[in-house]
Amino acid sequence: MSGYLIRRVLGAVLVMWAVATLVFFMLRAVPGDPLAAMLFDVGDPAAAEHLRQKFGLDQPVYIQYVKWFWLVLQGDLGNSIYGSRIEVSRIILEAIPRTMSLAALAFAIAVTIAIPAGLISATRKHSRLDHTVTVAAFIGLSMPDFWLGILLIILFATQLHWLPAVGYVPLSGGFWPWLSHLILPAIAAGTAFSAVMARMIRSAMLEVLNTEYVQVARAKGLKKLRIVLVHALPNALIPVITVMGIVLGLLMVATVVVENVFSIKGLGRVLIEGILNRDYPVVQGVILVISAIFVFLNLLVDVLYTVIDPRIRYD
Amino acid sequence: MTRKAPDTLGDLRGPIHEEMAHAHDFDTRDPLFGLHRHDLSGPRLERRTVLRLLAAAGALSTTHLLSSMTPRPAAAAGGTLRAGWSGVGEFRTLDPAQINQVLLFQIASNVLSGLTHIDPSLVAQGDLATDWTINDDGTEYTFNLREGVTFHNGDKFTADDVLFTYQRSKDPEKSIHSRVLANVVDVEKLSDHKVKIKLGAPQASFLVKTLERSSGRAMTIVSRGGLEQLGTSQYGLTPVGTGPFRVTDHQMGQAITLERFDGYYDSSRPKLDKIIIQPIIDPEPLAAALEAGDIQITGGNPLPPELIDRFEANSDLVVNSVPGPGFQSVWMNPWIEPFMVTDFNKPVDELMKEKGFKVRLAIAKAMDRDRYIKQAHFGRAIPGYGTINPAMGFYFDKSLAETSNQRFDLEEARRLLAEGGYPNGEGFPTLKILHTPSTRRDCQVIKNILKTNLNIEIELDTKDFPVLIDQFDKMDWQLCRLGSGGDFDPDDGVVDWMQTSSKFNGRERDKDKYAFGFFSDAEVDQLVDEQTRTADLEKRKAMVQKVNKITSDKVASAFLYHPIDIVVHRKEVNFPAESQIPGLVDMDRVTVS
Repeated sequence: MSGYLIRRVLGAVLVMWAVATLVFFMLRAVPGDPLAAMLFDVGDPAAAEHLRQKFGLDQPVYIQYVKWFWLVLQGDLGNSIYGSRIEVSRIILEAIPRTMSLAALAFAIAVTIAIPAGLISATRKHSRLDHTVTVAAFIGLSMPDFWLGILLIILFATQLHWLPAVGYVPLSGGFWPWLSHLILPAIAAGTAFSAVMARMIRSAMLEVLNTEYVQVARAKGLKKLRIVLVHALPNALIPVITVMGIVLGLLMVATVVVENVFSIKGLGRVLIEGILNRDYPVVQGVILVISAIFVFLNLLVDVLYTVIDPRIRYD
Repeated sequence: MTRKAPDTLGDLRGPIHEEMAHAHDFDTRDPLFGLHRHDLSGPRLERRTVLRLLAAAGALSTTHLLSSMTPRPAAAAGGTLRAGWSGVGEFRTLDPAQINQVLLFQIASNVLSGLTHIDPSLVAQGDLATDWTINDDGTEYTFNLREGVTFHNGDKFTADDVLFTYQRSKDPEKSIHSRVLANVVDVEKLSDHKVKIKLGAPQASFLVKTLERSSGRAMTIVSRGGLEQLGTSQYGLTPVGTGPFRVTDHQMGQAITLERFDGYYDSSRPKLDKIIIQPIIDPEPLAAALEAGDIQITGGNPLPPELIDRFEANSDLVVNSVPGPGFQSVWMNPWIEPFMVTDFNKPVDELMKEKGFKVRLAIAKAMDRDRYIKQAHFGRAIPGYGTINPAMGFYFDKSLAETSNQRFDLEEARRLLAEGGYPNGEGFPTLKILHTPSTRRDCQVIKNILKTNLNIEIELDTKDFPVLIDQFDKMDWQLCRLGSGGDFDPDDGVVDWMQTSSKFNGRERDKDKYAFGFFSDAEVDQLVDEQTRTADLEKRKAMVQKVNKITSDKVASAFLYHPIDIVVHRKEVNFPAESQIPGLVDMDRVTVS
C-alpha cells in the first residue's frame, strides 16, 4: 500500500506540473495585454514599462516560465499584477476557507438528500415514490444553480427575511452568522449534485440488490433494512464514492456562478477574475491549487475503496 | 417614486408645481442659468441652486422635489451603514497611486484627503488646503494648509506630507499617475503649513484634475508613516489617510469596514460610526439585498437601468439622480472604408465632399438618441453630442443638441449615405462593432437602429476588456463602443480624447501607417492647448465649447449619451444634496435614522 501511495503521489505531482505548465503557455497565447487594460485610463507608457519589467513580462516566455517555476519550487506563487499586488498565496489562502465552507456544506446537503432518495427509489422500484424521486432528481438536475440561487434569495431573504441575501462571514465571526450566510448558496450549489448522486445510488443499489448474496440474505430471513444498509449499501457505494470524489472536487472550484450570485469570493471567482484580467500569476497559482485538490481527492477516493471493500488491495 | 400616498401627493402638488417652475425660470442662453458664481461655491450649495442645475441639465423631475418635500425620518448621528458596490468582485486597492477605477476612488474619497475636493457642481473647494493664491501668469500656486490635521495613525499632517506625496506620485515606479504631474516642475515647502507648487505652464484644470482628492489621485495625500509601517501592498488594502473614515478591516472580495475617525479636522463630520461596504458583482442579488435591507445604499459601477423602475416603485427605497460625469460613443475607424477620412484639417464644407465623411456623418445623424436611450438605458441617460458632459454645468453647451451636425435627421442621413455610395444601404459592407460584454445590450440597440434607419448591417464583436483595449489602442477595429467616466474637468474630455496626442487616440498604432488614431485636427489641438492654459473661466468656456462643437461637427465619433449618476438608498438613510457629487459617494454627511 505504501509503495502504491508513493507512486500515486509522484504521479500527482507530475500531473500538477503538466497542468500548470500547460496553463502557463496557454495564458500567454490568449490575446489581451494585462497592463494595457490596467493602465488604459492612465495612458502612461513609463508606468507601463516599469510594470512590464517588474513582472518580467518584457522577457521571452520561456525565461518567464523558468523564473516562475523556480519560484514555485521555493513555495512562492508570486504577486498579483493588479491593484495592491498582494501575494497570490495570500489571495488563495483567504479564498480557500470560503470555498471549503461552501463546498463542505453543499456536499453535506447533497449527500443528505441523495442517500435516502437513492435508497428509497431503489428499494421501491417503479412505485409512486420512485417516480416522485426520479422526477425531483430531474428537476434538480435541470435547474440552473444561479436561477435557483436567485429564487432562494427572493424567498428567504427579500420576502421572509430569514436569511441574508449575500456575503460571507468567517467562522471566527460566530457560528450562526457563518452558517446563515452559507445555507442558501449551499442549497443552490448542492441541489444538482444531490440529484446526480441519488440517480447513481439508485442504479448501483438496483444492481447489488439483484446479486446472489443479497438473495441468500433474504432467504435467511434477514430484515430488509439490515440487508439494504449493512449488506447492499457498502458494495453499492464503490461507484458512488468515485462520483462523490468528483463532486467534492467540482464543488471546490466549479461553484463560481453561485459564488457570484451570493457574493462569496471563493477560489472559483478568484480564478475567473484572474482570467478576465489576464492576471497571470493569480491564474497560475489558482490552477496549481485546483489541480492539487483534484488529484489528491482522487487519491483519497482510491484509498477509501480499500476501507469500504477490504477485497481491494493495491499491492 | 417611493412615496405615493394619495393624500400626501395631493397636498404637495401645488408646492411641487411652484418649485418646478422656479427651477426652470432662467434664460437658456445664460451660461450660469440665472445663478451667480457665489451660488456655485462651497462649502454648501443651497437647495435652490441644486434644483436649478438639475433643471439646466434637463434632469430635474418630480422625483427630486418629492424626495425632499415629503417628511424624512428623523436622523441622528451614529449608527452603521451597510453599502453594496455594484458590478465589482473585490476592491483591489485603495492606494491612490494605483487606483484605476471610479468605484475605487469612490471609497478612497471617504478615507483620504487632497488639497482640494470638488463639490456637487464640480467646483474645487479647499480640503487640506484652507485657501490659495495664484501668481499672475498662473504658474505658481501657494497653498495654506489646514493646521491641526492628523492622519489615522496619529501622525501630524504637514507640508512634508505634500512633498512626500508628490515625490512618490511623480515616480512611475511607484505610481501609475505620474503623467498627471508632468506639468508640475516643483513643490516647495515654505513652512510647515504652506507649500508652493510651480507649474511648467498654466493649467486651468489644476485644482480639479490634479489636486482633487478622488479623481486626482496623483496628489491625494498619503501617509509616509503608514506606508513604512504597512508596506505598499497592505497600505493598498488598509490605507492610512486624513479622511473622515479610517479603514479598520478589509476582507478581500468580501467587505471593507470603515469606522468614524474621531480626529477628523471637521468635528461635525462624519455622522456615521461605521460603514461596511460589500462588493456585489451580479445585479439581481444586489437588488434583492437592497430590497431585503441587507444593504442600505449603493455605489460602484452604474446600476443596470432596468432595475431603476423597480427601485422607484418600492416605497422603502429612494432613487437619487444627478447628471453623470462622462460620455459614451460609437467610434468609427477613419483608416478603413467605408468611413475613411485621412485628413480632418479641412472646413466641414470641404469634408462634406468626401464620401468617407458623408458615411460617418450619416451614421451619426441616423443615431436616434432618444430611441437608443429609451431602449438601451430605459430612458435614464442624456443624449450626447460631445465630450463635455452636463455635470460640468458651466462648460456644458446645451444648445449643441440643436446646432451639432450630428443631430438626428433621418432623411439627411439617408441622403448622405446614398451620396457616400450606398443608396438605401446597398453594397454597404457588414461591419463589426467591438464592445465588452457589459455593453452588449447597447450594441444590439445600435445594430437595430442602423438596420432600421439606414438598412446597414453590423455584427457584434464581444471581447473581454483587456482584448478590446489591446485592439482599440492598435486601431485594430472597425466600429468600437467605448467612452469615458469620471470626467470632472473639460480636460478629461478634450485633452484625454480629442487631441492628436491624446492618451486614448490610437496610442499603440503603427505610426508609419497611421498618422493619427481616430481623430486629428490642428485647430482642435491648438484650442485644447490654449484652453488648458487659460485662467479666465469665460474665455476657457468659449474655447472648450468651440472644441466640443468642432469635434462634434467633424464626427470625431458618433456621440451617444451622457450617463445619469444614480445612487439608491433605503428611506432610513439621509443622503443630503451636498453629498451628491456626480460620480462619487461621499458618506461623511450621511445619516441613518
